[in-house]
Amino acid sequence: MEKAMKKNLVQAYKQAPWRTQIQWIGIFLLVLVGIAVVAGVYLMISGRAAAAGRRIQSLEAEISSLEMEINDLKTQYAQVSSAKSLGERADALNMTLLDPLRAMYIEVPGYIPPSQPALAPPPAVEDISTPVLLPEFTASLWDWLRLQVFIEPNLSVESPESDGTGLISPAPAEVTP
Amino acid sequence: MRTTNWNRFFIICVLASVIAGAAGIQLIRIQNIEGAKQILADSEAYQGINRMIYPERGSIYDSDGRLLAGNEVVYEVGLDLQAIQQPETVAAVASSVLELDYARTLGYTQMTPGNGNPYFIVLDGFVSKDKIAQLESIKEDYANRSTKRGEVRPNLLGLVWTANNKRSYPEGTLASNMLGFYSFLDRTDGIGYFGVEEAYNELMAGEAKQIYSAIDPNLLTSLEEIPPGVTVQLTFNREIQAMTEKKLDEAIEWSGAENGTIIVYNPETGEIIAMATAPRLDPNEYWNYSDLFPNPKPYNSAISSTYEPGSVFKVLTMAAGLDSGVVTPNTTFNDTGSLYVGGATIYNWNMGGWGEVDMTRCMQHSLNVCLAWLGMELGPDRFYSYMKSFGFDRNTGIDLGGESHWPLKLPGDGLWYEVDLATNSFGQGISVTPIQMVTAIGAIANDGKMMAPHVVKAMVIDGKQYNIDPVVVGTPVSAETAHTLTTMLVNSLENEASNALVEGYSLAGKTGTGEIATPLGYTNSSTNTSFVGWGPADDPKFLVYVWLEKPEISIWGSEVAAPVFSNLVSDLVVLMNIPPDSVRLANKPGDNSIAGTE
Repeated sequence: MEKAMKKNLVQAYKQAPWRTQIQWIGIFLLVLVGIAVVAGVYLMISGRAAAAGRRIQSLEAEISSLEMEINDLKTQYAQVSSAKSLGERADALNMTLLDPLRAMYIEVPGYIPPSQPALAPPPAVEDISTPVLLPEFTASLWDWLRLQVFIEPNLSVESPESDGTGLISPAPAEVTP
Repeated sequence: MRTTNWNRFFIICVLASVIAGAAGIQLIRIQNIEGAKQILADSEAYQGINRMIYPERGSIYDSDGRLLAGNEVVYEVGLDLQAIQQPETVAAVASSVLELDYARTLGYTQMTPGNGNPYFIVLDGFVSKDKIAQLESIKEDYANRSTKRGEVRPNLLGLVWTANNKRSYPEGTLASNMLGFYSFLDRTDGIGYFGVEEAYNELMAGEAKQIYSAIDPNLLTSLEEIPPGVTVQLTFNREIQAMTEKKLDEAIEWSGAENGTIIVYNPETGEIIAMATAPRLDPNEYWNYSDLFPNPKPYNSAISSTYEPGSVFKVLTMAAGLDSGVVTPNTTFNDTGSLYVGGATIYNWNMGGWGEVDMTRCMQHSLNVCLAWLGMELGPDRFYSYMKSFGFDRNTGIDLGGESHWPLKLPGDGLWYEVDLATNSFGQGISVTPIQMVTAIGAIANDGKMMAPHVVKAMVIDGKQYNIDPVVVGTPVSAETAHTLTTMLVNSLENEASNALVEGYSLAGKTGTGEIATPLGYTNSSTNTSFVGWGPADDPKFLVYVWLEKPEISIWGSEVAAPVFSNLVSDLVVLMNIPPDSVRLANKPGDNSIAGTE
C-alpha cells in the first residue's frame, strides 16, 4: 500500500513537473520575503531611531535656547524692578519711609515672620529622576533581539517604570528629613 | 516545454543569485579597500563635532532672592562669506542696523573666502535683541517681496547671528563695590575682578568642557549636560544697601568729605548687611574702571583702604584693659591733660586736663591721655596680644576679592617705638581697614565672640542650596567684658547727648577723629572722622561703622560721622523691622509684633 502510494507520487511529479517548480519558487519567495521583512523591520527601527535622534537634537537646541531666554527674562524683570526704578516710582507716588516713632506695633499671637526665600531645595531632598532614553531607542535590531530573546527574556514585556511614552516615569522621591 | 520553463526559471534564479552575490561581494570589497577606509575615516569628521561648551555663569542674588547679577541674551552677528549672494544688500543692511561703516562692511562682504582670507567675519559680538528683531524683519520683508520677471529678489544670505549670554547687572551701580565685575567682553577668557565676582570666580564660571556632539542622529547615545556655574545668594538686602548708599552719598555731599565708607554688620553672624563706598562703578560698563579708580584708589575702600582710625579704636583698648583686669569701669585716673611717653607728649583733643575721671568718662570725653595711660598699664605684650586676637595683624578673610591690611607694628620689629604703644591706644600710629574695625568691635557686640565677616549666605550647586554657617574666628574678650563695655558706651553716649542717639533705641557707640599723617607730620586741619555704634544694646542686631575722609564742615567725628550714624540707624531699624525698646522689651520673648503706621 505504502509502496503503491510512493509510486503514484513519483508518477504524479513526473507527469506534472511544475509541482516541483512551484515548490522551488515558494522556497525562493519565502527566503526573499523573509529578507524583505527583516530589512523592512530594520529600516523601520533605524528610521524611527534617526527621527528620534533628530528630535533630540532639536529639543536640545530648544532647551538651550529656552534656558537663555529664561535667564534673559529674569534679568529684564530685575531691571524693571530694580531698587532705583522702584524708588523712583515710590517717590513719584509721594511715598516716604516710615518714621520709626510713628510706627504702631501690634502683637499678633502665633504670627511667624516670613523666612528668607531659598533659591533651591536643600541637599537632603532627593531629586526626581530625570527622563532618559530607553534602550529600545538606542539599541540596534540585533542588540534588541539578543536582549529580548537571550539575555532578559522575562523582561520582554514593557518595563514597569515605563509609561509607554519612551520616558521613564519618576521614581518615588526619597525624602530624607 | 515545461522542462524549458523550469530551466529558464532555474537560470533566472541562478543569475539573480549570482548578481546579488556579486553585489554583496562588491559591497564587502568596497568597504575594505584602502580608499574605502580613507573615506570612512574622512566621514567620521562629519558624524559629529567637538565643541567647547562654556557653562552659563552663576547668578548673584540678594538675601531676598532679587537678582543682582545675571545673564542676558545678546547676539553675535557675522558674515558667512561663502554664502553671501548680494554683498551690497548685506553691507547696506548690516551697516545701517548695526551702525557700522558701510565702506568697510562692503569690503568684508566682497571678500573671497580662502587663500588667506577668513571664511567667517564677526561684525559685532554684542548685538541687542531689538537690532536682531530689525534684521529679522528686513529678512522677512525681502523674502515676501514680490518681484517682476527678471528682477532679482534681495536677500541677506550670509548674514548670520547666534545667541550668546552676556553678564548683566540689573541694579547698575548698587553694591558694585561688593559684586565686583566680570569682563564679559572677553567671551572665552573673561574673569571676575574684585568683590564676589573675583572671590568666587572659579565656582561661578563652572567648568568649560569639550564635548562631542553627534550630527548623525543614529549616533546620539547620551545627552551630556554641562552644569551651570555656582549661583550665590548674598547676605545683604538690596533695600538696606540702597538706603545705606543713599545716606553715604548725602553725607559726603553734606560734609564735603573726599570719600566715605559705611558698613552695616550683623555681629551675631558676621553677615554684611550693607557696605557702601564711594565712588561706585556700573559693572555693566566696567571698562570705565580706570577712569573712576585711578591708581592707587581702591575699588572697595571698606576692605582695601587703611587709615588711622583715631578714637573709635579706644573701644578695643578699653576692652583689653577691662578683660585683663587692669581697670574696671569705676577705676579713676587723674587726667592732667598730658602724658610724656618715649620722648613724646600725649595731649587730649582739647589740649586740656579733665581731672579725676572714671573709665566711662574717659570714653565719654574720648581722653587720649587716659587711654594712653591704660595702654602703658597694659604693657606692650598684653596690648599687642589683644590686638592680634582682634585680628589686626591679618586680613579678616572676608569673601570679597581685593582685601588688604597694613602690617601691625610690634615691639622688636625695628619699626616700633615706645611711644607707639601710647598712640596706638587711642588709634593713632596704627593703620586699619574699616572691615578689620567692624570685625573686631563686632566681638564686643556679640558676647566677646568675633565672627568671620562674609557676604555669601548660600550657594546653589547642581540645583541644591548649601547655606553657609557663621564661623567664630576667636574670642578676644570674655562675655562679661563685652557686656560691661557695651553698658559703658551706652552710658557715655547718653551722658554726652551724642548726635548719634536715635530716639527710642538704646545704642552703644564711640566717635573717632583720626589725624592724618603727612610727610611733614600729623595735621589736624583735615581728619578722618568715624563712628562705630551698635544696637539694640541688650541684644545687638546691627553694628554700623561710618568713616568720612577729610570732611570740610568739621574735623570732629562727633559732628560729622555721629549724625550720619543716627540718620542711617533711624531708617535701618524700620527696614530691619526692629521696634523701639519700649515695644520690643514689652513683647519679649514672643516678639510677634508687626509694624504699622499710626
